[in-house]
Amino acid sequence: MKPQQQVPRNALVWMIICLFTLMAPHAARIPLWILAIYVFSAVWRMLVYSGRWSFPGRRVKILLTLSGFAGIYLSYGSLIGLEPTVALLLTAFALKLIELTSRKDAYVLLFLGYFICITEFLFTQDLLIVLYSLLNVLLITTALVALHQPGEHQFNRKTIRLAGIMLLQAMPLMVVLFFMFPRIGPLWAVPAKSQTAKTGMSDFMKPGDVSRLSQSADVAFRVQFDGEIPAPSQMYWRGLVFSTLQEGAWRSLRYYDVPVAERRPQEVLTSGEPLNYSIIMEPTQQNWLYSLRYAQAEHLGVMAAADFSLFLLVPLEDQYRYNVSSWPEALLETALSDWRRKTELQLPAQDNPQTRQLAQELRRGVASDGDFVKAVLNKFNTEPYIYTLQPEALPGEHPMDQFLFRTRRGFCEHYAYAFVVMMRAGGVPARVVAGYQGGEVNPVNKTVIVHQFDAHAWAEVWLAGQGWVRVDPTAAVSPERIEWGLEQALAGEGSFLENSPLSPLRYRSIAWVNLLRLRYDALTYRWQTWVVGFNSEQQFQLLQNVFGEISARKFAAVLLGSWALVLIPVAISLLRKRATHQLSTLDKQYLIFCSRLAGVGIDREPGETPDQLAHRARQAMPALAARIDQITSLHGDLAYREKAGSPELETDLLRQFKKVVAGFRPRKGQ
Amino acid sequence: MQKQSIRQRLRTRFRAWINRRIPPSRVVTLDQKRIFIFPSRVGFFFGFCLLIMLIAAINYQNNMSYALTFLLATLFIIATLHTFANLSGLTIRALRAQPAFPGQQSKFDVLIERGKRRDHFALYMTWPDSTDALVSLVEEDRVQVQLHTAVGKRGWYSPGRLLLESTYPLGLLRCWTWIDLDLYALVYPQPLASAQLPGLATDKPDGAAVPVTGSDDFYGFRDYRRGDSLRQIHWKGLAKGQGLQSKQYAAYADRSVWLDWDMFPGLGIEQRLSHLCYWALEFEGRNEEYGLRLPGVVIEPGMGEKHRDRVLKELALYGQGDKRQ
Repeated sequence: MKPQQQVPRNALVWMIICLFTLMAPHAARIPLWILAIYVFSAVWRMLVYSGRWSFPGRRVKILLTLSGFAGIYLSYGSLIGLEPTVALLLTAFALKLIELTSRKDAYVLLFLGYFICITEFLFTQDLLIVLYSLLNVLLITTALVALHQPGEHQFNRKTIRLAGIMLLQAMPLMVVLFFMFPRIGPLWAVPAKSQTAKTGMSDFMKPGDVSRLSQSADVAFRVQFDGEIPAPSQMYWRGLVFSTLQEGAWRSLRYYDVPVAERRPQEVLTSGEPLNYSIIMEPTQQNWLYSLRYAQAEHLGVMAAADFSLFLLVPLEDQYRYNVSSWPEALLETALSDWRRKTELQLPAQDNPQTRQLAQELRRGVASDGDFVKAVLNKFNTEPYIYTLQPEALPGEHPMDQFLFRTRRGFCEHYAYAFVVMMRAGGVPARVVAGYQGGEVNPVNKTVIVHQFDAHAWAEVWLAGQGWVRVDPTAAVSPERIEWGLEQALAGEGSFLENSPLSPLRYRSIAWVNLLRLRYDALTYRWQTWVVGFNSEQQFQLLQNVFGEISARKFAAVLLGSWALVLIPVAISLLRKRATHQLSTLDKQYLIFCSRLAGVGIDREPGETPDQLAHRARQAMPALAARIDQITSLHGDLAYREKAGSPELETDLLRQFKKVVAGFRPRKGQ
Repeated sequence: MQKQSIRQRLRTRFRAWINRRIPPSRVVTLDQKRIFIFPSRVGFFFGFCLLIMLIAAINYQNNMSYALTFLLATLFIIATLHTFANLSGLTIRALRAQPAFPGQQSKFDVLIERGKRRDHFALYMTWPDSTDALVSLVEEDRVQVQLHTAVGKRGWYSPGRLLLESTYPLGLLRCWTWIDLDLYALVYPQPLASAQLPGLATDKPDGAAVPVTGSDDFYGFRDYRRGDSLRQIHWKGLAKGQGLQSKQYAAYADRSVWLDWDMFPGLGIEQRLSHLCYWALEFEGRNEEYGLRLPGVVIEPGMGEKHRDRVLKELALYGQGDKRQ
């Protein structure tokens, strides 16, 4: 092999480091055996390096490759889709290391490494992950540099320094390209995430579902209001509307179950200024969006359902930002169609007989539907019903009978469930709404952060003349939940985020932890808006703000200008480095001496030693012989002797040398 | 045929162009004018990878993928400057070329030094047909590089233009230069043995014997001097108590053998030179003095390395002038 083609040892070490740092963020997503392959490859390669093992033969390579494919097929059930593809890349990356013999292999390995960085972004573009990936890019680049430093067997810091400098120099141009490169739509459909768990609310609701979700401290979405932020008790983020009860679970109406005429939302009369806000949702792998009622979103791809909720046609795989206008006071569906009335009154034939009976009794005792609502809420309020995150399970065919008459402990979904069943039994159209309630206002940037533990379920009843009216039975049981949030409501129970002891949200009472958390969240919001969520609209706006009217010529000028602005200083710094000679003080002083000699016609010849020069100089200027000898011997002492005893003595000699040289002023004819 | 001639013509034009751009010189300092830079094969492969990354970014509408792709693309561009800087400022000096006989390897010594304290890595050097070398200037300011190449015909051998290239630091770009160091190796005639040197009676010594160490014929004793070989010591005499004496040997060095062009009548130029070359080496090996007479060239008899080199040089360059080409 040509010496050029060899892989230096330090490059190999950097590559093995890269191998693990690149795999680390994927670790939770890939099967365990791939992690084992990483360790196996690294150990094998190091044994090869130390000469105790040899490179794999052809057959072994084929066997390893095939078993890699087979393993992924068995683990994922398919080779198609984003996750299996990434797992394949990661496996190939590890196996490539074993057969890495020449520099060519190393290039393939390292470029694959850059690619693996990108695949990480397809799962998350979180600020911390991006910073971590930047570190990965630095390590890969360092390995690439080390690959071109033959004979550098020492693991040295200069290598990573150069890689870092180059990346820093590349940064400004990257930013320019990032904001100026036209954002176009996908060229073709790509494998989607098939294995990622759906998060947040699910499309059906059983007692216990919401309380389970409320254990999580993850962020569901962040909201930025244009104007004032409404009171937390007014922020009911509608997501799903559940109109059918089947086998103890609430579900939305399926699209095809709705008659064609009922599929579009009714016209709503809006008046006054709406609440304008924008929401950035975390990926849920589901397709519904959250909004305050009554919401309109003029966004490509955002649809409105007949129950006035918003949804997308495709599942939300990445963070998604949308702008909404809401009119909270607008009346919804003042005229109810027969089909709709029938649907919203339907209950499974035989279940919860006790509950139905109770509802019918209560209805008979009051004059209007409105009073009926009040009577049921009053019952929840006055009787010993308890709001808890740890409700008992409700087995059996009649869960609401059990809940209302026996356990009396429940989370929001229990109360919403029971309430809607009672309303329907009493002849009032009603449905369950699932979403989030409240949210934390971040004082740093005035966004509202809605966490998973803000998940909530409430009810909507239809009253003549008022349309759909929001009723929250939980508020009757635990007003604190609505006013102050879950943490306050559960203060007595101590069950808030019980299973996430490390979540910073648990330490909200410690001021600096809380401030740090909120500041980071504000940063995340900005990151999501300006970087992760940067799209063609924002791009257009930004370019227009900065450059005014956009023209091709301006565009080119800005691009070229920014390139010149970065490349010229870099080039100058590199070339200037070439032009500055780091002479030691000793050499500088000696050269002064030489130039003074040259001034009187005694040029130092190439290859002439100081002694020879001194000899000539002495002969030409006998008067200065002592000086010349002194300078020459001092120079010899300082330059060629081992360090003259101590550093102090050396500086002393150097000072003396300087003085003598300064006093050496030969004149012609001396 | 036509193609061949076009290629030939292009090659000639290129040679003329590069001779104008980088004229031959014993010392060359690399600067903008002398350095060429272009993406390497790895660079093109990297570009292809970037394209795939860009397509992934577009298809997944993933801004961080865009950002990483752009970062790597600009890294590529920044690398141009760094790769260039790795060659820029280097000074290459032709030191010497070892003379050789046809078909032998000649050794070319080249000194590569950096102008200032800046690390230069993985500088690959080779002449078109020579061995290659990979040097780095990290600790030292200069490195002497030896490249070997088989030489051709009698006369001055030019190894061609020295290729100096580097892909440091990322391997994405290849930066190179072709420099003519004006360095020539002297190629002696191919020695050709002949049974006897015509017209010379080697068994009839004429001239005075001169003591020469290492010869065979005993000549006398003298007092031991420092540096005399142990084998020369007159051990028997020492045993007899005559003190330390060295034996002296003599060769008939002053026989004034003339290697003459006219000794080989009827032979061609090259053959004559080959025979003369053989005999010159032969006499040098025997420690006998020899002179050279060629048309227009006379070298008085002598011996020793310098003398031999002078003789061989005349033989090598006979009829060629000193025009190096």
